[in-house]
Amino acid sequence: MAKDADNAAAAGTPAPGAPAPGAGRGAPYLEVRGLGFAYRPGAAVLAGLSFDVGRGRLVNLLGPNGSGKTTLLRILVGLLVPAEGEVRLAGIALADYPRGALARRIAYVPQETASAAAFTVLETVLMGRSPHTGALGFETPADWYAAREALRLTETEAFAERSLEELSGGERQRVVIARAIAQEADLVLLDEPTAFLDIKHQHAIYGLLARLVAERGLTAVCVSHDLNLAAAYADDLVLLAAGRVAARGTPAEVLRPEVLRPVYETPLEVRTDEVTGRPYVLLRRGAV
Amino acid sequence: MIRPRPVTARRYVAALGGWLVAWVLVAAAAVLLGTENIWAWESWESVRTVLGIRLYLVLTASIVGASLALAGLAFQALLRNPLADPYILGVSGGASLGVILSSLCFSILLAPLFGFVGALATVAVVYAVAQRRGRLEPYTLLLSGVIINAFYGAAIMLVVALASPMERGSIAYWMMGSIGTFDPRGTPVVAVVGGLAVAVAVVFAFLAKGFNLVVVGEDTAGALGVRVERLRLVAFVAASLVTGASVALVGPIGFVGLICPHLLRLALGPDHRRLVPASFFFGAIFLVLADLATRLLASVGDQAPPVGVLTAMCGGPFFIYLLRTRWRRAAEVR
Amino acid sequence: MRFGAMAAAVVCALAALAAGGCQKEAPAPAPPPASGAAAPLRILSLAPNLTEILFAMGLGDRVVGRSTYCAYPPEAAALPAVGDTLQLNLERVVALKPTVAFLITRRDDVPRRLEAVGVRAVALRSDHMSEMLQSVATIGRETGHEADAQMLLDHIQVGLMRVRARVKGLPRPKVLFAFPMTIGSPQMMVAGRGTFVDELLDVAGAANAYPKTADWPTLSPQAVIGLGPEVVIVNATAEDAAPDRLEAVRRAWANWTSVPAVKAGRVHVLTETFLTIPGPRVVQAAAVLAEAIHPELRGATPEGARP
Repeated sequence: MAKDADNAAAAGTPAPGAPAPGAGRGAPYLEVRGLGFAYRPGAAVLAGLSFDVGRGRLVNLLGPNGSGKTTLLRILVGLLVPAEGEVRLAGIALADYPRGALARRIAYVPQETASAAAFTVLETVLMGRSPHTGALGFETPADWYAAREALRLTETEAFAERSLEELSGGERQRVVIARAIAQEADLVLLDEPTAFLDIKHQHAIYGLLARLVAERGLTAVCVSHDLNLAAAYADDLVLLAAGRVAARGTPAEVLRPEVLRPVYETPLEVRTDEVTGRPYVLLRRGAV
Repeated sequence: MIRPRPVTARRYVAALGGWLVAWVLVAAAAVLLGTENIWAWESWESVRTVLGIRLYLVLTASIVGASLALAGLAFQALLRNPLADPYILGVSGGASLGVILSSLCFSILLAPLFGFVGALATVAVVYAVAQRRGRLEPYTLLLSGVIINAFYGAAIMLVVALASPMERGSIAYWMMGSIGTFDPRGTPVVAVVGGLAVAVAVVFAFLAKGFNLVVVGEDTAGALGVRVERLRLVAFVAASLVTGASVALVGPIGFVGLICPHLLRLALGPDHRRLVPASFFFGAIFLVLADLATRLLASVGDQAPPVGVLTAMCGGPFFIYLLRTRWRRAAEVR
Repeated sequence: MRFGAMAAAVVCALAALAAGGCQKEAPAPAPPPASGAAAPLRILSLAPNLTEILFAMGLGDRVVGRSTYCAYPPEAAALPAVGDTLQLNLERVVALKPTVAFLITRRDDVPRRLEAVGVRAVALRSDHMSEMLQSVATIGRETGHEADAQMLLDHIQVGLMRVRARVKGLPRPKVLFAFPMTIGSPQMMVAGRGTFVDELLDVAGAANAYPKTADWPTLSPQAVIGLGPEVVIVNATAEDAAPDRLEAVRRAWANWTSVPAVKAGRVHVLTETFLTIPGPRVVQAAAVLAEAIHPELRGATPEGARP
């Protein structure tokens, strides 16, 4: 992780896992240092967790169940307070940001999109503007423009006046991402955004994310279960195991059998896709 | 259902103005109408007296209606439950017990004060029972409310059983909820409750954005910068205070806090920035009209039935309507 | 935020309007008229017994309004009704323009409500005979008709003394005065010691079988049996006076054979409505009770015709 970057800097070549040239090199955008958290005393979910995320990267957090992915994400969003360690965004600790400022810089796309009220798509996306609107929540033309842009980017303009409840899971997920875009945040944190979607929509969502990262310079950190999807789209992977970072780097570096097998405790093989050059994980039935 | 375009400052003020005009018209009608044909009287003094009585009733009804509608809206957002009404967390039980005990044991004139004290005590008790590590979760809040309501129901039953038959009659009557208690020395109390209602309306106007987000999801709201726990606490306390004050003043008038936010949601959508001012004014208008209806019914009997009876009678048909339209439609979507 | 401030200003103005509108001065209540005052007397009577007293005093033509429950005398029933002390139709009260209102209440708020609309409210009591007589005197004083009041008082007191004289020397049985059982329950309300009815029983030459001071306690059949009354008076009025209900009440009582009154056949179901009204007809009530309680008196001339 940091060691590679140091070595690379000493050797004068960009190390694998470091930000690509021109994509905001220098200090990493999101730094996690020595994070520790426990829901109950004695049952630590995270311990000594540290990694960096560069600006303008699509990063996937992977790991088996119980490895602490969701807990980590909730700490990054600010919904949980870590027991140890700290998180820094652009060099400033999260705890030092005023609440409103944090909401303008970090956007959160939760897993569950069901809502208790029947807001329309446009209203939902406009909610993403709330860190920017005043105390009474009035909207200005700037807010509408941001919302319309977000709808355009996620190709959900057609649903603008429809109620969220009427949409399919994939469409709803795009709307929630539109909300995050409307927030005009630099960092987007997503919690298993494709958990309930079919493969067409899974690829649509990840394609959208990759486009946003590339075109608008967003930084996206995505918790995911799907190794192959992550392999296909992510710039960087962070593999968690038992509350610590087990591996960190590009998909090619992280998705190696000797790395994955002890973490997932499952026999698997890794092949390389001839067309894209990216790895993919292969499971075989029956082999234990 | 109209789904207007986004909420701007200009539209907001225009809507406020529109509601204000509507309320003034309804209030004027309620003051000028009644069973006694006062316009045929010769004595201007008597006409002025009757107009004074009606104005007092209209103002009281407006304040109570606005309070209950606001409280109902807040509890529906707080508990994420469209069936919540202002009495669901036991505040009305505390206020009722305070009023009943005061009128039986101390003084009937101090009853509203005791009622409000009872409401305050209930807020504290419900909070103490429901909070976990300082957090107020909707589920535990609802359960605590049910428990406290059951307790107050039992306490009131006990007091009623021990009271004399005549006292029982007046307690039963008060529990129906009635505006018709004209006492000019009570106007400071009504003014105070009115000020409280206005203050809570302003507070909720500033919380409206947060209500929207909290209804979508607690995590989403937190991530968008809403202090969810503070919002819940403020909403809970403010809505309970305004409910307690209303019940202490006129008794537990039912269904206003449930029906008004619902009807407004059907017409205006779920955006609380619109619903807060709308609930304030529509609640006032609703109860003024209900009170006017009861006063006009006085020509049938000898006196007006308590307004709580009328609002309760609205409840049944309203729920049937809801069941047949909105909920069935929601079930089909799912 | 500018518009937010504007909105806040609007609602504050509304609040000020509301508060300002509330500071209305109540019209001053009319002062009590002196005897023989020129201002015409318009009386509002808010209790059935007070209505009877007013009519008995000859003030019936001065009464302009009554409570919903004032049904006697029949002339009163024709008057406009304004509700009762729990819920007054204040508009109708104002329309009737009474100069004085008489009511029976212990609450502070009802007289104030009447005073607020310019009606002088006189709160009276009638839980005991002495209070009832005091109320008659007060009414006389307030209306400037002390002479009529005194006549009524004399009539009542003379009548009661006559009843006392008739029962003097007769044995004083233990009498239980009860209302019929409520439908669906064997319990019944009885008159305790210290009530108005209790005083009537005393005038009628009986002792109250219920030993404790209480208003209208509810008793179970076991409690009644425990009291062992020698005579039972059941006062069935209104819906209870329907023939089938009366029959049901008689049958229910006939079942409790361990009660001395039942064994001796001294359970009397009376349907007179005035037995519990503390008004001018107490003389008749005492006479009716006396004849029911003392079989020796039956056949003699009935006492206490209406004045």
